[in-house]
Amino acid sequence: MSDSSITYLTDVVMITCIVTQGRGDEAIKVAREAGVVGALVYHARGSGVRERLGLLGIAVEAEKDVVTMLAATDQRDLVMHNLYTQLGLDRPGAGVIYAMPLDKMATYIPADERQRLQAEALK
Amino acid sequence: MNIPTPSPEESPSATADTAPRYPYADYIRGSGSGVLHVSYNALAPQIEYAADGRPLPYHAPMLQLRPKEVARLLQPYVSVRFMDQVRAVVPLAIYLALFQILILRQLVEDAWLVTGGMFAVVVGLMLFMEGLKIGLMPFGTVIGEQLPRKLALPLVLIITLLLGIGVTFAEPAIGALKMAGQIVSVERAPYLYALLNEWSDALVLVVGASVGLAAVIGTLRFLYGWSLKPLIYFSLLLVMLPTLYMASDPQLVSVLGLAWDAGAVTTGPVTVPLVLALGVGISAAAGKGSGGLAGFGIVTLASLFPIAGVLFLALYVASVQSPADIIEAARQAAAVADAGVSAWYTRSPGVEIVAGVRAILPLVIFLFLVLSLILRERLANQAEIFLGIGLTILGMCVFNLGLTYGLSMLGNSAGNLVPTAFMEVAGIESSPLYRYGIGLTIALAFAWFLGFGATIAEPALSALGMTAEELTNGVFKKKTLIMAVSTGVACGIALGLAKLIFELPLVWLLAGSYAAAAGLTLLSSEAFVNVAWDSAGVTTGPVTVPLVLAMGLGFGSATQAVEGFGILCLASVGPIITVLVSGLWSSYKSRREVRAAAQAPSLSPLATAQEIL
Repeated sequence: MSDSSITYLTDVVMITCIVTQGRGDEAIKVAREAGVVGALVYHARGSGVRERLGLLGIAVEAEKDVVTMLAATDQRDLVMHNLYTQLGLDRPGAGVIYAMPLDKMATYIPADERQRLQAEALK
Repeated sequence: MNIPTPSPEESPSATADTAPRYPYADYIRGSGSGVLHVSYNALAPQIEYAADGRPLPYHAPMLQLRPKEVARLLQPYVSVRFMDQVRAVVPLAIYLALFQILILRQLVEDAWLVTGGMFAVVVGLMLFMEGLKIGLMPFGTVIGEQLPRKLALPLVLIITLLLGIGVTFAEPAIGALKMAGQIVSVERAPYLYALLNEWSDALVLVVGASVGLAAVIGTLRFLYGWSLKPLIYFSLLLVMLPTLYMASDPQLVSVLGLAWDAGAVTTGPVTVPLVLALGVGISAAAGKGSGGLAGFGIVTLASLFPIAGVLFLALYVASVQSPADIIEAARQAAAVADAGVSAWYTRSPGVEIVAGVRAILPLVIFLFLVLSLILRERLANQAEIFLGIGLTILGMCVFNLGLTYGLSMLGNSAGNLVPTAFMEVAGIESSPLYRYGIGLTIALAFAWFLGFGATIAEPALSALGMTAEELTNGVFKKKTLIMAVSTGVACGIALGLAKLIFELPLVWLLAGSYAAAAGLTLLSSEAFVNVAWDSAGVTTGPVTVPLVLAMGLGFGSATQAVEGFGILCLASVGPIITVLVSGLWSSYKSRREVRAAAQAPSLSPLATAQEIL
């Protein structure tokens, strides 16, 4: 394989965690500690439970941080479990977390790691 | 102690190699611990169909939460907002209390009452700010966007003027100014006493009208692109001339401190966003866009005009009442108050609640009238708006209680006790505590650090720093601005304390410092002038103002000064000077760097040429 060849990674899931604005960094910290390499945060305005709570709805901020991250399928349940419990997503209006399967991904892989993977693949 | 030593079989590497490995997902699923997989179809609502088979629109029913769920919903919401205020209030309170205990060796009097009061300040501010956000700010946004489009400019400006009065009544710190009136001695400063008691409503009205006028002129300035400098010179002339005149009158001179302090009180958490929303809306409707400069200037003028307003009110009062009249009236009022049991609304918990309602309701009614009669608009989420207004009023009442029992008491007792460091104070044994020189240094250092600490934590300052950095293309760093403003406020408060100790004439301190500020303004560029003069207004928040006012008054009464005003206004001119100086310095530095960069390449060919020769 030459250096210009592409290495596809399979068995990838995308986990998306939607939390109140300002808590995105907290979510990233939890995800990192569960082994996720990186994450992407963007801002959005949500609706849903806020409108159905009446006056209590003021406690649910409409502005959200959307945190998406890629993880291996084996990591998925640990990451989701930790995010759900440590961010308190079991509170009303605190947020949502979901995962979806991805076909494949490709990105930079450290040279040593790639050599190891190539050796394993050849075996 | 038996610390288990890992045997070779149990060492992690050995287990990792030999033991079978399972994915965490399988482990969780296998153990079945707390994981339940349910089809979302079981939870999704059932859509009903009409007779002809078309699906009917579904309306989600309101959620009914159990009390425990409500608590879990509110807990993070409340705790974030509570901690925001705790961070603003508690460090200052602890600093004041520790200073009293460790340096002045006095226990804080009524410690429990003061602690309760500070708690009320935190809770009150939390409710007030949140109520402001959900109850009043939507009005500001809608009116700011719609009004300039639907009405002619003169009418919009009249409404701006009225709004200025409304927001001034709603400022939390205004209550502190009124409260200060109860401490002033009528015999020694009759006009000051009259302004703060008999004329106190007129005083707030005049201050409010001045803020409104400032908003009008600030908006016009942005609309027509006027420079801020001539406006500053004109306003300075407007305030300095009556000041100089009144300084020559022994009866009127005591009002000066109050008048100049009024400017610092006005620009708080209600005025700034509401007036700015309108100003930005007007400029946007005129097609001038809403640049970073839109808000500037209004705050500056809103802290200068009230000074002139109060000065002219004092002159008016002086023309209709003589000092003897005022003293006589005060004596009669005191006799009446002593004679009967006062009504519930003039005693402690009652008076704060009435003040809270009276502060907010006029503004709310005015905003409602503008919205429904002129704009013919209805706000979405009316229930939320009413809740917000309710929270604002409740917050204001609780804050007022906290003002009486917490901030004012603590500030007053600190002000009373600080002089014991260097002079003999009646009623306190072992005073002076320290030798004159050392004690004086301690007192001034106390004031300096109080000002520095209170300012550096102000959230509005951080926002101003960001704007300043953008405006000056990074020449003026955010950190530089925060340091400059904090230093300026600190020096101002220390100077204010020195004024009380040595009975320095306020008029010359003000004339000198404002002359310096005007001179520096002449030298500085427009962007720096905007930032510097506005920094004076943003620094004085609802916690700092009552604390510093009460401290000044307590200090004044302990040192037998006529009145304790004047600290705040020195605290607002301080940052103007420091910011202008550091602005000049940083632009000088960047110019020198540019010149050095321009010279560097021209030098090197010359050097090589010399080498060749």
